[in-house]
Amino acid sequence: MIDPVWLTIGGASAIAFYMAWSIGANDVANSMSTAVGAKAITHKQAVIIAGVLVFLGAVLVGPHVSETIKSEIIKVEIIQSNLLILGFISSLLAAAIWATISSWKEMPISTTHSIIGALMGFGLIAGGVGSVNWLKIGSVAASWVLSPVFGCIIAFIVFKIIVRLIFAKREPVGSAKIVGPIIIGITGFLVSASFLLKTPISATYNISDFQGVIFSTLVAIIIGIISIILLRKIQAKKEEEDYFTVENIFRKLQVGTSCYVAFSIGSNDVANAIGPVAGIIPLAENGVLNNQAPIPIGLLALGGIGIAFGAMTWGRRVMKTVGERITSLTNTRGFSVDFGAATTVLVASKLGMPISTSHTVVGAVIGVGLARGLEAIDLSIIKKIVISWLLTLPIAAGTSIGIFLLLRTIFV
Amino acid sequence: MVEEENHFRAPLTDTFRRKSPFSQLFEHMRKVREGISILEEGLINYYRGDYKGFSEITKKVSKIEHEADIIKGNLRNHLPSSLLMPVDKGKFLWALREQDAILDHAENLTEMLDMRHTKIPKEIQELFIKHANTVMKTVGAMEDAVSNVKDLVETGFVKREREQTKEFIYKVHELEWEADQVRYQMTRGIYKLEKKLSPMDVYHLIKIADWVDEIADHAENVADWLRSMIAK
Repeated sequence: MIDPVWLTIGGASAIAFYMAWSIGANDVANSMSTAVGAKAITHKQAVIIAGVLVFLGAVLVGPHVSETIKSEIIKVEIIQSNLLILGFISSLLAAAIWATISSWKEMPISTTHSIIGALMGFGLIAGGVGSVNWLKIGSVAASWVLSPVFGCIIAFIVFKIIVRLIFAKREPVGSAKIVGPIIIGITGFLVSASFLLKTPISATYNISDFQGVIFSTLVAIIIGIISIILLRKIQAKKEEEDYFTVENIFRKLQVGTSCYVAFSIGSNDVANAIGPVAGIIPLAENGVLNNQAPIPIGLLALGGIGIAFGAMTWGRRVMKTVGERITSLTNTRGFSVDFGAATTVLVASKLGMPISTSHTVVGAVIGVGLARGLEAIDLSIIKKIVISWLLTLPIAAGTSIGIFLLLRTIFV
Repeated sequence: MVEEENHFRAPLTDTFRRKSPFSQLFEHMRKVREGISILEEGLINYYRGDYKGFSEITKKVSKIEHEADIIKGNLRNHLPSSLLMPVDKGKFLWALREQDAILDHAENLTEMLDMRHTKIPKEIQELFIKHANTVMKTVGAMEDAVSNVKDLVETGFVKREREQTKEFIYKVHELEWEADQVRYQMTRGIYKLEKKLSPMDVYHLIKIADWVDEIADHAENVADWLRSMIAK
């Protein structure tokens, strides 16, 4: 006879794996698509790099975020513990189903918002209106506006800087050699800061924010100097190939930023899959919910593997067609979009805002378009994407309620 | 398999259209170039009194005109209303329309020339050839200006590229003016010979000068729309 506790945990973990898979399929393609589209890397490389980085991001930087999801959306104290287990499971399943449908229907939704919506739906049924933390839901709504706007502004500025400081100069390649290392340095700073500021790594090694900033600055300077040395040899073959050479420099840069986006997806989104399970384990074992209980590393690894697996299966198919579709996205544009998205996600996650990568990427694309950088953006498709964001909360909530009611009639 | 893959495309990429309006404009321009270079060869042979193979050229130009029409129709019919482009969509479409008019006139010219083989009098033959060359040069300068828009978009509209495009546009104006001057000389030459020529010959010669000159006029119109398209 199998212990029902382990049966519950096992079942929940299986669903969490499914959720992680759907996150990988939906989100990872967004992070790497600009690099693949700009022909910076091949599809195969993108899938492998994304898989590895997402896994690392989940395991190394993930746990910090997990706390948020499981306990902040609903006030768990006022709901019975056995209902809570059912609720977490149905929320996970509902969120995963919506994420799968939207990947299939080509919509880049936020899996974070999907799980928040699902938890909200369950909270409404199990504990009434009072059990939902409406402030948190409000911050989700704020993200609809904030993430695209910030992504848009940063991408606009970055692209304008590239145009002003490189393309507008008499010798674009020469200017790129000066501006390039600075931009690379800033990127290095951002990546390093995302590792060291308010993450489990900084907690383990007792690194204060100030030390983190100092260390990141050092990393930035070192990376900048290395890139000066590497860029020194690059020379435009003919005068006509100036822009081409500049794009080539940014092609290399873009691989770096894409990796960073993949990494941040791993660290931000793994919580969506395993957060609810982390809540279930202590509940199933001894019936109490302990907010302070650390998330077991095995669970993080499970989430990481799930996301990586999703990236390698469906994400692979997504990216395969992506490369052929983005034709007008050159490396400088791709870099601007990636940089805008990565910076927004980093700053927002440090401020504790539930910001979504896919929302920022869409905003960043518009930003480059507003800077007259793209030949054409189809706004009707952007409209469709925005509608799918708005639908995420109610649909995830509705599905979650349905599954919860079904499970309750079966088990209770 | 292809259909299946389409199911899994990422939505973001749909926002950059598969074929950008600009690349379609260049595609259309390549058709113009093709048609005009065929026309130039045929026209000069015609002026020299060699009518052999002119019907072939008429057919070729007509075919290219039709192909260009398909590109134009595709571009115009599938340009969604909510499209964010770096230039004004209306001006873009006007430039396309004028570019297409070049081929329309080229087709008309070859058809009309093919219907009646008019011998160009020796005295004004060289002027006619000079005029044809100047008109074709005008179209060539217009093509350079249109191609330069690509660099302009690539660099996010930097001043240097904008100036370069403007230079090409001035060149179009200059050549078009030159073509006009040659045309006046041609007309004058035709009137001088009016006693020698049959009235029908005079009519057709004057018309040929008009038809060829119209091609340069439309090349100038493309350049004008381009200029207002790239204005700040």
